Amino acid sequence: MDIAGLSSILVSGLVLGSLYALMATGLSLVWGTVRLFNFAHGSLVMIGAYIAWTVSDAKGLGLGPWAGLAAAVVVMFFVGVLIERLLARPFIKRENAVIIVLMTTLAASSFLDNSAQVLWGPRMKRLAPLVTGKVAFLGSAISMQELLVIIVAPLILLALGALLKKTRIGMAIRGVEQNPRFARLAGINVSRTYAITFGLGVSLAAIAGVLLGSKKFIVPSMGDDPMLKAFIVVILGGLGSMLGTVLGAYLVGFLEAASIFFLGLYWTPALLFIVMILTLVVRPTGLLGEN
Amino acid sequence: MGQNRLISPGSGKWWALGAVVILALAPIFIASGYIRHLLVISMLYAVVAASWDMSLGYGGVFNFAHVALFAIGAYTGGILTKSLGVPPFLAILAGGVVAVAASLLVCLPVLRVKGIYVCLVTFAFGQVCLHVVRSQGELTGGNRGLVLIPPVRIGSYAFTADDKIAYYYLALLLLVVATFFLRRLLGSYFGKSIVAVRDYEEYAVSRGIPLARQRLLTFAASAVFTGMTGAVYAMYLGVVSTDLFGFGYTTTLLSMVIVGGVATTYGPILGAFLLGFLTEFMSDLGPWRYMITAVLIVLVLRYYPQGVYGGLQRLAGLLTRKRKS
Repeated sequence: MDIAGLSSILVSGLVLGSLYALMATGLSLVWGTVRLFNFAHGSLVMIGAYIAWTVSDAKGLGLGPWAGLAAAVVVMFFVGVLIERLLARPFIKRENAVIIVLMTTLAASSFLDNSAQVLWGPRMKRLAPLVTGKVAFLGSAISMQELLVIIVAPLILLALGALLKKTRIGMAIRGVEQNPRFARLAGINVSRTYAITFGLGVSLAAIAGVLLGSKKFIVPSMGDDPMLKAFIVVILGGLGSMLGTVLGAYLVGFLEAASIFFLGLYWTPALLFIVMILTLVVRPTGLLGEN
Repeated sequence: MGQNRLISPGSGKWWALGAVVILALAPIFIASGYIRHLLVISMLYAVVAASWDMSLGYGGVFNFAHVALFAIGAYTGGILTKSLGVPPFLAILAGGVVAVAASLLVCLPVLRVKGIYVCLVTFAFGQVCLHVVRSQGELTGGNRGLVLIPPVRIGSYAFTADDKIAYYYLALLLLVVATFFLRRLLGSYFGKSIVAVRDYEEYAVSRGIPLARQRLLTFAASAVFTGMTGAVYAMYLGVVSTDLFGFGYTTTLLSMVIVGGVATTYGPILGAFLLGFLTEFMSDLGPWRYMITAVLIVLVLRYYPQGVYGGLQRLAGLLTRKRKS
């Protein structure tokens, strides 16, 4: 294998890993804190991309790509809060809340996919990249946008980490994660914390959607494939463990990049699935998941 | 979801018999080929929904790959009859066998994990099946789907003749046999043991219920008629597409189970007919019909988790009480 091949695997592995990390962290954050799984996460990635398109594109409001990103993050935060209010909170006290919320969010996913079709029509859209141009890297050229993804994703995750460690709301989230009852005793508004956690998770999905929307076309089903990868990521890394999720994301990213290079596009999902099964057999809670 | 609801195999038996008689006689009165077609599709969905209800409702295991098992049955039936010239009835049986094999395959990792991970693994399995089907374009037709699947025939009589009336009775037969099978199974020791595992896992296991074996059997039993129905579905429509692995079908089938009534067997069958007709009548609405179905799922889960069948049971209970007093 030549150096160009190696660098292309490295770059696409990093790009994929970064996108998966943004997506899967949102899932993992919600699971870790609220103990519920948001099945509509992939569809929310897609809605985030569409909102960014509406705000940024000349056919929409025409405010440019950065305004699109900002709008997507803010709007999707409130969509996340809304999802918590409508689809999670009414069921949280029920005995099998996990399965019920899985069903309600699956329904939400179907709702969002179809409403995207109603709102934005069947024509494919594409976001303008946040930055343009190319840079040379180990004998191959990569686009500035890819470089941006590689650099920005870890920064966002670090910022999230700082938010969870240093701020009041972050500490509330971690408190609720560790023990909701004592958190309530300590004066933390648990249900508000749940809503904010959902909002944060969905905002992360929106960022992933905006970055993805300039890489691929925006269609109502654009979230499906990343969602599958995010599933594999959280299984590999362990749901609820932030570090495990990020680790799993880059692992899946590199594995996918290498597999596409050596085995081709078609066999890659099967390979990822086999790796996932083997991981589960050895460690049912993922690499860093708690028991 | 059906917590602590006891299963009595006798409940609903007479109603079920009456429904079968009505369905058996219906083609005499219904001249419209379109309504008959809807009935055939609803009966096929009913088998899949009732089978799913066994693992989801009674077993308490969310097997996200259930509709994928249906798709696997459909592709098995289609490929065997079209490319290999296998006799249709043999291919229908093969659809069931392959679906059972697939269900055991997906169940193996499920045995190792709990709760949410079960959903993740089974969902991923379905998606991988989709990718494998897409990649084997020469056999499966890839993204364009499998077309020109030969119809079921006995001797020289093709089931497509006479307004496809033979398919109607084939679907009814499948539904009756599958329902009988599921009700008998759920009324047996096995059925009670999987409900016990669902409601009180530790206690059930400590009382000697073999968790892994029951789970494998649950998956296999829910797969057998699902796969056979898939094969019939493929031959009836003559086409199978990768859409079967998609979210759309899973959501539709799930809505049948939920709206009908979880852990009731008859509920999901009822749900299949209700939603089968409802979605068809809404077909002019395009994407809106899926949005309406989605809202319906959430509303039922929120305000009436017993579903339509639970409502009917309550109604019947009120009526009989009135008569006695």
